[in-house]
Amino acid sequence: MPRNFRIKDCFRSVSLFPACLSAMMQSLLLLRSARCLWTRGALLRTPRRPASSGSPQLEELFSGGGAMRNFLERLTGPGVQAHFGVKEPELAMAARKLREKEQELQEIERLLEDENEDLRKLAENEIISCQKELTKLKQKIILLLIPSEETDENDLILELTAGVGGQEAMLFTAEMFDMYQRYATYKKWHFEILEYFPSEIGGLRHASASIGGPEAYRHMKFEGGVHRVQRVPKTEKQGRMHTSTMTVAILPQPTEINLVINPKELRIETKRASGAGGQHVNTTDSAVRIVHLPTGVATECQQERSQIKNKEMAMKKLRAKLYSMLLEEETNKRYSARKIQIGTKGRSEKIRTYHFPQNRVTDHRISKSLYDIQSFMLGEYLLDELIQSLKEYADYESITEVISERC
Amino acid sequence: MWLRFMKPWGLRPRGEKWKGRLQSLLALQPLRLASGCRPPSVTARALVNHWAQLFEERGVPEARESSEYIVAHVLGAKTFQSLSASQRCAPITDLQQEQIGELCTRRLQRMPVQYVIGEWDFQGLTLKMTPPVFIPRPETEELVNLVLHEQSQRCQEFRRKRTLAHQSHSWPLILDVCCGSGAIALSLLSKLTQSRVVAVDKGEEAVQLTRENAQRLHLEDRIQIVRHDITSGVNREQLLPWGPVDFVVSNPPYIFHCDMAQLAPEILSYEDTDSLDGGENGMSVIREILSQAPMLLKDSGSIFLEVDPRHPELVEKWLQSHPDLGLSLLATHVDFCGKPRFLHIHKSRDPGSRRTQNV
Repeated sequence: MPRNFRIKDCFRSVSLFPACLSAMMQSLLLLRSARCLWTRGALLRTPRRPASSGSPQLEELFSGGGAMRNFLERLTGPGVQAHFGVKEPELAMAARKLREKEQELQEIERLLEDENEDLRKLAENEIISCQKELTKLKQKIILLLIPSEETDENDLILELTAGVGGQEAMLFTAEMFDMYQRYATYKKWHFEILEYFPSEIGGLRHASASIGGPEAYRHMKFEGGVHRVQRVPKTEKQGRMHTSTMTVAILPQPTEINLVINPKELRIETKRASGAGGQHVNTTDSAVRIVHLPTGVATECQQERSQIKNKEMAMKKLRAKLYSMLLEEETNKRYSARKIQIGTKGRSEKIRTYHFPQNRVTDHRISKSLYDIQSFMLGEYLLDELIQSLKEYADYESITEVISERC
Repeated sequence: MWLRFMKPWGLRPRGEKWKGRLQSLLALQPLRLASGCRPPSVTARALVNHWAQLFEERGVPEARESSEYIVAHVLGAKTFQSLSASQRCAPITDLQQEQIGELCTRRLQRMPVQYVIGEWDFQGLTLKMTPPVFIPRPETEELVNLVLHEQSQRCQEFRRKRTLAHQSHSWPLILDVCCGSGAIALSLLSKLTQSRVVAVDKGEEAVQLTRENAQRLHLEDRIQIVRHDITSGVNREQLLPWGPVDFVVSNPPYIFHCDMAQLAPEILSYEDTDSLDGGENGMSVIREILSQAPMLLKDSGSIFLEVDPRHPELVEKWLQSHPDLGLSLLATHVDFCGKPRFLHIHKSRDPGSRRTQNV
């Protein structure tokens, strides 16, 4: 492919692209910068707990004199109207309510020093309900501030590839695949295997699956990257500990509108290229390979006995591949000055370690460790808990970004 | 090591295969004990290789694919590629080996894989397959897509005109002529969730199999299965229990009689030749369907046919010489190999007196 080749040129509906992309790119950028901070260790701290009743993070964020305060004051102040976005009126209203409630609280607090005991008790009760409402308002403000990615609601394609470590890496990749399959079941998502290339001893070289369901991408996007395993492999005879890796890639599945492919630019290859075809022959080879001619990107599928199903699945994969290339190209073009490679970064960074002797899973991005690997790899509440922490952390970081950008 | 034990079964003459296999299995036991340790477990891949090689030696076409499908089937998967890592390395039991051996022996006798494993997939459905009922080909999956596409276009058109037209939109009624295993009829029913289909075949086995497949897929409530020979004329009462239909869909026998002798043994010795042989120029059943379709279709109904690549021209000529039928060839679609394979024929006006009756 020529160096300056732009995949964007291959699609018909690109006119839609810049508008929807800019919003997404903005949020991607925020996440990216948040991640940079994590990796640099600048913001190492225990991850934020869920923003429930008066968590320290929530208080920290809303502390007096902080960026959030300044931001909210600016928002409710005179002359700053309506140029931020759609959510802004709602946000301003919440900020105003917050200020009113806080004033109310201050007034009630003064009653605590009153001589009348009944009045003091009444005030205490009032304060509790007031604080509850304040927490709710703060959470609402946070929700309004979190930028959502355009692709958050999309389905996705999960790709797993064994990395360094030979058979052991492949065995671990197979276990990871099972973990994600169970996670999809746990989240009641649709999980469809698109390809699966095992190794002879029960490992997995490479596999991909299509995952669909509410907020599937929003959760799974944090899984992209290099996962490292440390343990004594089944294949090891002298009891030495090995370190192996595998890579997870998460590709958002484009919708019909995100990506339109001209059928004329596809070459669909099946095993029935010659002969009379139809009723004259009875062949069972149902493998399908699709080549996107302008880019040379090819996908194939032989998971199914039905040829048309194989074609649908190969097409799904092709669309996801082209879409991620498209996103990457747009990103590179926009942020080349900052050397940010959003599309590829997730695949090259070591994000998590599975340390079997210590029975520990550590996510390096938020320095969070969970114990009980076996339960973690069941793909149920422990994995979900970690993903939730990542999500909250990313939300927290992006809010900080949003605020500092706007102030 | 196990290959040495397996070879004799496959190579044994057909008649004594069953006894022979049991004997060789029995012979295997003492050897295992004598060696004092667990014999190396046979992997799925090794079994596939073994049978693929044997098929190759015996000139069985698609040797590797056949072997993979059979092994996967016995291990509980549809394709070898879809076997999970754990399925693939779990030791194969003696019983499974025996089943695989038995099925592969049938394949050695050139039985089509679909009959050997007793099922096949069509569109999203798994259908039971029994000889001699015609095995659906992958091209026909595209025929179904054409019908679905036409229906979605009609829906869109209806939505555009809704303010103008007062007729209510309804799910299409469909007639599947020469239904075989029920592949077309049942896949249409599964996609068009409120449509009804009449499926017709002249063969008793086909009618039975369509019924069984409909029951397995829980689609029996919306299908009427009729045993009827379309070449013996139209029985409107039988064929139109719900009145005229929107679509006639058919994959009729269309092979030119002169080509029949060249078909592979899989087809000739196992599939019902009546479901393949289309007479002198492959047109005999096609002509019957076209002659009768005007009586079966609603006004502006459509016929979708799968045909031989030489047929589009022949059919067009034939339609031109029968203007009284009021049918016209709307479009010819190519299959995935680029061959003209599907005809979309439109009923443009009513040939009989029904129109005047309606007015």
